[in-house]
Amino acid sequence: MRLPRIFRTTPFRLTLLFLALFAAAASAFLAYIYIATAGEATRRTDRDITREMSSLKGAYSRAGVDALNQSLIERAASERPFLYLLMSADGKRISGSIEESPLDEFGGAPTWASFQVTDFDVQGHEIKHPARGLQERLKGGEILFVGADVGEDEAYVVKIVRALWGAGGLVIVLGLAGGVIVSRNVSRSMGELNDVVAAVRNGDLQARAPVRGARDEFDELSEGLNEMLDRLERSMAGHRHAGDAIAHDLRSPLTRLRARLEAAFLEVEAGRGDPTQALAQALDDTDGVLKTFAAVLAIARLQAAGQAPDQAVFDPAELAADIAELYEPLCEDKDIDFQAELQRGLTVRGNREFLAQAIANILDNAVKYTPAGGAIMLRVRRRSSGEVEWSVTDTGPGVPETDRARVVERFVRLENSRNEPGSGLGLSLVGAVAEAHGGRLELDEGPGKVGELGPGLRVALILPRAG
Amino acid sequence: MRILIVEDDVEAADAMERGLSDGGHDCVRAADGEEGLKAANSGQFDVMIVDRMMPRMDGVTLVETLRRQGDQTPVLFLSALGEINDRVEGLKAGGDDYLVKPYAFAELIARVEALARRRETGSVQTLLRVGDLEMDLIARTVHRQGKEIDLQPREFQLLEFMMRHAGQSVTRTMLLEKVWEYHFDPQTNVIDVHVSRLRSKIDKGFDRPMLQTIRGAGYRLDA
Repeated sequence: MRLPRIFRTTPFRLTLLFLALFAAAASAFLAYIYIATAGEATRRTDRDITREMSSLKGAYSRAGVDALNQSLIERAASERPFLYLLMSADGKRISGSIEESPLDEFGGAPTWASFQVTDFDVQGHEIKHPARGLQERLKGGEILFVGADVGEDEAYVVKIVRALWGAGGLVIVLGLAGGVIVSRNVSRSMGELNDVVAAVRNGDLQARAPVRGARDEFDELSEGLNEMLDRLERSMAGHRHAGDAIAHDLRSPLTRLRARLEAAFLEVEAGRGDPTQALAQALDDTDGVLKTFAAVLAIARLQAAGQAPDQAVFDPAELAADIAELYEPLCEDKDIDFQAELQRGLTVRGNREFLAQAIANILDNAVKYTPAGGAIMLRVRRRSSGEVEWSVTDTGPGVPETDRARVVERFVRLENSRNEPGSGLGLSLVGAVAEAHGGRLELDEGPGKVGELGPGLRVALILPRAG
Repeated sequence: MRILIVEDDVEAADAMERGLSDGGHDCVRAADGEEGLKAANSGQFDVMIVDRMMPRMDGVTLVETLRRQGDQTPVLFLSALGEINDRVEGLKAGGDDYLVKPYAFAELIARVEALARRRETGSVQTLLRVGDLEMDLIARTVHRQGKEIDLQPREFQLLEFMMRHAGQSVTRTMLLEKVWEYHFDPQTNVIDVHVSRLRSKIDKGFDRPMLQTIRGAGYRLDA
């Protein structure tokens, strides 16, 4: 038999556990109260009875049984709270305030007894009081019993104990009810999360956990889950997009390559034409495909790893100077004024090789799009936020603001640059490298329009503060 | 040169053997790591070309075993794994160079020859001489026909590499890897510009150009 769902939830089980703990603690508490109050009342009564007994025994040994009898009658008539019974050696009642001893058997040694006395209240209702008594044999063989109503104290204690039991029962009932309610709430929240997980497992990446605004750990969990799903969805979309883009960017050169080889083959088969030209072109095409492939692979691996491998701490200016040295002659050849402004003494943490490639890609682009007579500036600086940025500013045609976000995406090349060589993955790789270092890529307008030049583009690779 | 080709892809091995034999080299082939180890142990080779991923014994294990046995024959790893750490792993295992598939044949030949040459010139040299070109590695000076040529530090390194591999073609990728120590492929021809600068310094004003461009391969420094 399976328990109803609610009883199988973790919160309900926790409730039960806490109730059990509470019950144990409450029992110990009750026991203590009982010992401290009821026990104390009994002990006091016993003490009083013992004292009364020894006082009576004193009278007996001083003046004999008649004096004792006299004293008993006097005492019973007074306001003293004791019950007396004097019996002969064979147990016959001589005198006293009760008819018979509550003890059924009496061996002779002083014996304590707990019993009840019946009384009538003002309305004539029968009331039973708990009582205690001590029975002893006197020197002359007579038996004396002294008892006392345990009285109001004990009755009060009994009431307290009863109230405590009642309260305990109430707590358990309320606790169970509360547990059920809490469990139901919690399991509803958990159920919602489970539903989302199930939906995602079944392929619905758009499912999101509800955030109730309570700012509790369920909201936190929901938000975390949603954020994870957002990332996953973006990444899946990226992969899908990349798949399409790879298909597009690899298929067209592969188609060209195939056509060229086929044409050359037919030419040579027909005994005319020199295949060399076609083969050389085919090799070039193959290289192009391989370059695209390598770039796609690098981006995919960086994105899959989430974090660039083999990170080390180094000086960003040093890296920039290295790359600048690689590109400076190229700029000079193209009649582009190249300058570097490198703030020294900064540190970044990252994969040097990937960052070098990223900066090289940015410079590649700048050189490609800056016309002769233009200028390129490579900068390394620390932002006021503490972040470190490498930036390249050129005086090329720039990128319209509306297109800037798009050019970072994979394979996007603006229409007017279709005839330039390149896989269209340069800035995508830079973006992937930045992301793999917890940084970002920013595109802005360059220095503005000056005559034929400009407005230019400023590309910045920004890494978080090291350490 | 005697070259051992350890490659499980028969077609790739055929192409390699054909190309290297055309270049006048003797080739021995092994189809997997164990066979490669046997072949390496039974003969003397100038260079070994080892595929990284092979059945029975992979390339890294093969080279590690050879190095443990004291065999110092230069090894060129071929691999479809091109990540930096794959490269580092290959070099750590005892490989001397690492070429990612697919490669241009010219690149393979250039690297194999560079590896063989490196072995020949193992001793520490302080003076390099190629034809009438002289490089003093201590004084960091270069002379051609007794005339001093002023070079930037990077141009000096570039020329040093070219001189150490004089008579062989060196590819752009090799230069980028060995002189600049970058392992990526720039989209533009940055290396060409550096080489043409160097060429204008060492060849301009002299009757015979030394620094040749090899179509489809790279460059060669001739005496």
